[in-house]
Amino acid sequence: MSAHANAVDLSDAQAPANSIWKKLPLIFAVIGVAGVALAFVTVGTDTKQFWYSYLTAYMFWLSVGLGGLFFVLIHHATRAGWSTVVRRVAENYMITLPLLGLLALPIVFGGMDDLYHVWVHPAATDLFVQAKTGFLNTDFFTVRVIAYAVIWTALGLYLYLASRKQDVTGDPKLAHGMRRVAPFGLILFALTITFAAVDFMMSLDPHWYSTIFGVVYFGGTFMAIASVLALTGMALQRTGLLKNAITTEHYHDLGKLAFAFMVFWAYVAFSQFMLIWYANIPEETIWFAYRATNGWEIVAGVLTLLHFVVPFFFMMSRHIKRRNLTLAIGAVILLVAHYIDMFWIIQPAMRQHDADPHFSMHIADLLTFIGIGGLVLAVFSWRVSAAPVAPMKDPRLMESLDFENF
Amino acid sequence: MATVPPTFDALDPLAGRAPLILDNPSFKDITDAVIAPTERGDYRAWWMGFLVAVFFLGVLLVSIAWLFWEGTGVWGINNPVGWGWAIVNFVFWVGIGHAGTLISAVLFLFRQKWRTSINRFAEAMTIFAVICALVFPGIHVGRVWAVYWMFPVPNQMGTWPNFMSPLLWDVFAVSTYFTVSLLFWYVGLIPDFATLRDRAKTKARRLAYGIFALGWRGSMRHWLNYEKAYLLLAAIATPLVLSVHSVVSFDFAVATLPGWHTTIFPPYFVAGAIFSGFAMVLTLAIPARKIFKLEHIIHEKHLENMAKVILLTGSLVGYAYAMEFFVAWYSGNPYEQFTFVNRAFGDYAWAYWIMVSCNVITPQFFWFKKLRRNVSVLFILSIFVNIGMWFERFVITMSLHADFLPSSWDYFKPTFWDISTLLGSFGLFFTFFLLFVRWIPMVAIAEVKAVLPQASPHYDDSHTTTSDKAQEAVAHG
Repeated sequence: MSAHANAVDLSDAQAPANSIWKKLPLIFAVIGVAGVALAFVTVGTDTKQFWYSYLTAYMFWLSVGLGGLFFVLIHHATRAGWSTVVRRVAENYMITLPLLGLLALPIVFGGMDDLYHVWVHPAATDLFVQAKTGFLNTDFFTVRVIAYAVIWTALGLYLYLASRKQDVTGDPKLAHGMRRVAPFGLILFALTITFAAVDFMMSLDPHWYSTIFGVVYFGGTFMAIASVLALTGMALQRTGLLKNAITTEHYHDLGKLAFAFMVFWAYVAFSQFMLIWYANIPEETIWFAYRATNGWEIVAGVLTLLHFVVPFFFMMSRHIKRRNLTLAIGAVILLVAHYIDMFWIIQPAMRQHDADPHFSMHIADLLTFIGIGGLVLAVFSWRVSAAPVAPMKDPRLMESLDFENF
Repeated sequence: MATVPPTFDALDPLAGRAPLILDNPSFKDITDAVIAPTERGDYRAWWMGFLVAVFFLGVLLVSIAWLFWEGTGVWGINNPVGWGWAIVNFVFWVGIGHAGTLISAVLFLFRQKWRTSINRFAEAMTIFAVICALVFPGIHVGRVWAVYWMFPVPNQMGTWPNFMSPLLWDVFAVSTYFTVSLLFWYVGLIPDFATLRDRAKTKARRLAYGIFALGWRGSMRHWLNYEKAYLLLAAIATPLVLSVHSVVSFDFAVATLPGWHTTIFPPYFVAGAIFSGFAMVLTLAIPARKIFKLEHIIHEKHLENMAKVILLTGSLVGYAYAMEFFVAWYSGNPYEQFTFVNRAFGDYAWAYWIMVSCNVITPQFFWFKKLRRNVSVLFILSIFVNIGMWFERFVITMSLHADFLPSSWDYFKPTFWDISTLLGSFGLFFTFFLLFVRWIPMVAIAEVKAVLPQASPHYDDSHTTTSDKAQEAVAHG
C-alpha cells in the first residue's frame, strides 16, 4: 500500500542524545576488554585453554561479522527490496570486520604453538603432515590471515561508506556502484570464508580433510546473522528506534531465512557425516570418533537437537515467526546451537591428545565469548549511536517499508 | 493490445521495477497468445521437429530391444568400467530435471515473480527429463525381468532389497521427486485447463480438457484452495530440489573410490543440476518463444535472469572443482592425488578439459550484460553448458578406468548402441516436449495475469499516475 508508505515516520532512525545507545559503546568496550583479560587470568599457565576458548568465541563472532557482509552483498547482488530497512543493521555488523581482522592477529602471533602445534612443529615421522607443510606453515598462514583481514576490511569499508554517503547525497549512482561490486565481493567472500574455516578450524587436526567444510561454516554463518538481525531489530525497537519501520513482515522474512539456513546447515553437516561414516575410511572417521566419545557424544546429540530437530518443528509455523517473543526464542536457540557447533568442532582437538580427553567446559570459554562479543558489540553500538539505523535515501527504502508477505 | 502506451520507461531503474510482461497486454491478449499454439494446426516447424523426435524415439526402442535380447554386452562397458553411459545419461537427465522445481518452488518462495513466464515450461521439461532418466536404471540392470526387486516388495524368496544401498535410495528419491513435480505441475494447470475447456469449439476438446479441469469454476473458494495447495506443494518441493541430486551424488560418494568419495558431492551435484537445468530451459525456450510468438511474455529480461542463475551455479560448480583439487592435494593421500592428476592429464584429459571449458569458462561470459541480453549468444552458450554437464558425469564415472589394480586398467569406448541409446533418449524427451507445447498452455496463464499491472487492486485509483500504478503492481504482484 504505497499510500501508507509515505506516512511511515523515519525520524526515529537516529538515536537521540539521551538514548542508551550513546552509552553502550563504552559499556560494551569495558565488558569486552575485561572479559578477555579475565579469561587470560583465569587460565593461569594453561595458555592452551585460553587459545582454544578464544578461537571458539572468535569463530562464533566472526560468523556475525561475515554474516553481516554476506547479507549486504546478497542484498545488492539480487537487487532486493524487502531487506533495505534492515540493511543498515547488517552493515553495522559488517563494519565490525576490521576489528575482527585485528582480533585474528593475537592467534597468529601468540596462539600458533598452542593451537596448531601438530603442523607448526611437524614430527619427522608424520608423513601426512609433512606432505602439506607447503600450505600449513606459520609464514603462509600469517600471510593468509592478513589477506582475509584486508579483504574483509576493504569490502566492509567500501560498502559501509558508500551506503553512508548515500544517506547524505541520495545519489543513485552509489547504489549502482555497490551492485556492481557485490558479485565480485561474493566471490571473494566465498573464497575467504572457505579458507578461513580450513585454516582456523580444519587445520586443528591437520590429518583430517573434508571438501564441504567451508560450506558447513557458511551455513551456520548465514543462520546466525539472520537470527542476530531479528534480535537486534527487537532491541532497537525497544529502545525507541525504527518503531514503525521494521514490521512483522521483515521479522517473518528474517525468521524464514534463519529457518532455511538452519536446515541447509543440517543438510551439509549431515552429508559430511553420513558420507564419512558410510565409507568408513579410518583417517576420516577418526575426526568424528573423537567427537562421539568421552562425553562429546552428548554435545553432538545436543547439537543435533538444537541445531535441527527442535528449531525445525518449533520455527516451521508462520505464527511463530510473526510473533516477536516466539521468534526471539527461536533465534536464541539457533545462536546457542551455533556456539555449540563451534565448540564441538574446535575443542575436542585440544583434548584429543591430552591425558583426559573428556568433554569439559572452562570459565574462560564464557569469558572469551563475552569479551570478544563485547568488543564486537562496542563497534556495533558505536555505529548505531553515530548514524541513522536505516539507509535513509536508498531508492528502495519505500518498497521495503511497504513490503508485505503474501 | 490495450490502448494505453507503456510508460514504464519513465521509472527510475533503481527505485522502480521493470515490467515483467512487455507491450502492456490485456488479460485477453495473454490468453490468446498462450493458447494459440494449442488451437492452431498449421505449424510446419513443429511437424518437422515432431517427426524427427519420433524417429529417435524409435531408435531408443530398437536399442532397448536389442539390449534386452543380447544383454549389456552390447555396450562398451568392460571390467574396471562396469558403469558406463547408462549411469552418465541417468545423472545427466535427472540434472536437467532440476530447473523446473527450482523455478516453481524455490523461486516462488523467494517471491521472484519473473518465474511466472517460464515455470510451466520448465516444470514440463522437468517431468520429461525425469522420465528419460528413469529409463536407464530400468534397462541397465542386465536382468530386466527382475527389475521390480529395486522396490521394497518382498520377492518370492522372502528377501528385501538392501536398504543401505544408495541405489535403493535413488528409487525413492527420484520417484518421490517425479510424483511431487507431476502434482505441482498439474495443480498449476487446473485453472488453465478450465480456460481451454471454456474456449473449446469442439465437443471432444471440451470433454478432454473438461476432465482435466476437475470442474474448476474459478470461484473464490476454488482460488483459496488453489493458492493454499500451491504454497504447500512449494514448501514440500523445495527440499526435494536438494534431496534428489544429493541422493544421486551418494551413488558415487559413499564409495571408497578416490574421485568419488568426497563430502562436497551433494551440494556440488545440486548446483550442477540447476546449472544444466537452466541451460536446457534456455535451449528450449529461445526457439519456442519465437515459433509460438511469445516473445513479449518470455522476453530478454527472463532470459537474462536465467543467464544469471547459470553464472551463479556455474561458479558454484567451479568452486567445487577447485575444492576437490585442493583437498586432493591437501589430503596427502597419493591415490586421491593420482585420480585428479589422471583426470586432468591422463587418458580422459580430453573429456576433462571439455568439461572445464564448458562448465567453468562458458558461464563467465554472462558477466557481461550485453551477452546476457543477446539471444543468439545465450542459445549457443546454453548448448555448451548442456554438453559440459554431460561430460562432467562422464569424467566422474570414468574414475573407474584406472582403479587400485593397474593391471586391470582399461579404456572405455562407447559402442554404436551406447550412442544410439543416448540419442534415442533425446527422441523420447522431445516427443513428450513437442506434444506438450501443442496440447497444453506452455505459459501459466493465470499466474502471468497476476503479475500484470491490471491485477493490482489499486490499478483504477484515479489519484495515482500510471507510473505509480505500474510500480505498485510490480511491488504487489
